[in-house]
Amino acid sequence: MIRFTNISKVYKPNMTALHGVSFHVKPGEFVSIVGSSGSGKTTLAKLLFAEEKPTSGKIVVGDWDITSIHRSEIPTLRRQIGVVFQDFKLLSRKTVYENVAFALEVAGAANVRIKEVVPQVLKIVGLGDKHERYPHQLSGGEQQRVSIARALVHRPKIIVADEPTGNLDTVTSREIIELLKKINEFGTTVVLVTHDRDIVNALKKRVLTINGGKIVSDVEHGKYVLG
Amino acid sequence: MRTLIRVIKFTGQSLWRNAWLSLITLTIFVLTLMTVNAVLLVNVVTSSAIRAVQNEVQVAVYFVPGTSQETEKSVRGYLLGLSQVKTVEVITADQALQNFKDKNAGDPTVLAALDEVGGNPFGDAVVVSANNPQDFDFILQAIKTPEYAPSIKQTDYTDYQTVISKLTTFTDKLRIAGLILAGFFALISILIIFNAIRIAIYVHRDEIGIMKLVGAQDWFIRAPFLLEAVLLSLLATGVMAGVVLVSTKALDVPLMQYFGQVNVSLWAYFTSNALIIFGGEFLALALLSSLTTVFAMRKHLRV
Repeated sequence: MIRFTNISKVYKPNMTALHGVSFHVKPGEFVSIVGSSGSGKTTLAKLLFAEEKPTSGKIVVGDWDITSIHRSEIPTLRRQIGVVFQDFKLLSRKTVYENVAFALEVAGAANVRIKEVVPQVLKIVGLGDKHERYPHQLSGGEQQRVSIARALVHRPKIIVADEPTGNLDTVTSREIIELLKKINEFGTTVVLVTHDRDIVNALKKRVLTINGGKIVSDVEHGKYVLG
Repeated sequence: MRTLIRVIKFTGQSLWRNAWLSLITLTIFVLTLMTVNAVLLVNVVTSSAIRAVQNEVQVAVYFVPGTSQETEKSVRGYLLGLSQVKTVEVITADQALQNFKDKNAGDPTVLAALDEVGGNPFGDAVVVSANNPQDFDFILQAIKTPEYAPSIKQTDYTDYQTVISKLTTFTDKLRIAGLILAGFFALISILIIFNAIRIAIYVHRDEIGIMKLVGAQDWFIRAPFLLEAVLLSLLATGVMAGVVLVSTKALDVPLMQYFGQVNVSLWAYFTSNALIIFGGEFLALALLSSLTTVFAMRKHLRV
């Protein structure tokens, strides 16, 4: 599903974020990418949805080599990968419904389909009764649920969640992770980028550990191993 | 079609939900157009003022007393035949005497001096007004033909010559000053609009980034902002047209009273040139705000 081959990313003038990173994520897997701040894990996530381009190496998503993806192709890629961020990245002037619908509207989806799909995904994330609320009228956990609903709306094969619990309390964090697990059980590949030890240990899923821009461990049912 | 409707919907939502920002941008647009129209208005008024002064400039040609009516008539006809001459008014010696007496009615010394002279010291005269003050030189040269020169006692152009020369210099300077002022205001307007749009886009920077992250094409993100810029330009031009037409209508009566015979109707000027003035202002404003929008968005679209 996702294949990184010898990926390096160097920021100008001379800051190496990733160095020779290679791994493969199979369809339907739940992979946690862990590491301390500045280890390169967010850069890795950004490479996945083409917010950054690698300096060298090769990235393949599905059958698509996105290593040198053209600017005009990026929107198409982003409609195939659901992305969830730590700061939710919701449009503050749009309601919950409009935020989720927007992802379909930009893709040119028909109104009939939008009216059918958006309530479905909002129900899945537990916000079936909050369509007309604005982001500032929601709790952090609810905002993250909207973000997940938006990521799900295209029925993507992959969900990339970059520190999705970073701004949430422990209980809400667990709920969000449970939601991601549920999505994974439906067959969606989930890449979770986090530095939350408890979450990683509780998941008992594959753990890729990054340190200093390199993968230092890749364990099938792993734990958080950094100090 | 579906996409176009969505772009219009997003534009409407953005205008409404960012009402304050829209209002501020609209106000800046209106104020900018106001400076442009104020310069235009001042230009029309000064042109009319110049025209009014120029209309007052006349040259009197005095005949030698005793010049025959035929000669005077012939001179008048000759002058009227010149394309540079606008009007020729004949003033008889009696009229000239009466005018002089009326003018100095309050000054017994002057009237006593007139009695002392005895009889009518004035001859017949013609008062010539030209289409253009610069033509007086030509007219006065033209009248000095061997046929008419002996009948002409004097012309009082000398005084006017200075006035005309000063007036011409003044109007030329005024025109240059007007142009510089208009250019200066245009530059300020461009900078103000440029900044207003940049601020508006800056406020939306996160939104633009999010749109990119959920897979929106660049043009789909740009289109509502561009449409917003064009709609605000249209609205600002509409508001400005209303303000200009109402205020010029109100100004017309006092201006006409002030300028007398010169027809200074600002309202007529703005209504008869409405399409060019307001259409041009709208196009310029829409073009400027759209270009600024594209320029300001470039940075935020790089996500």
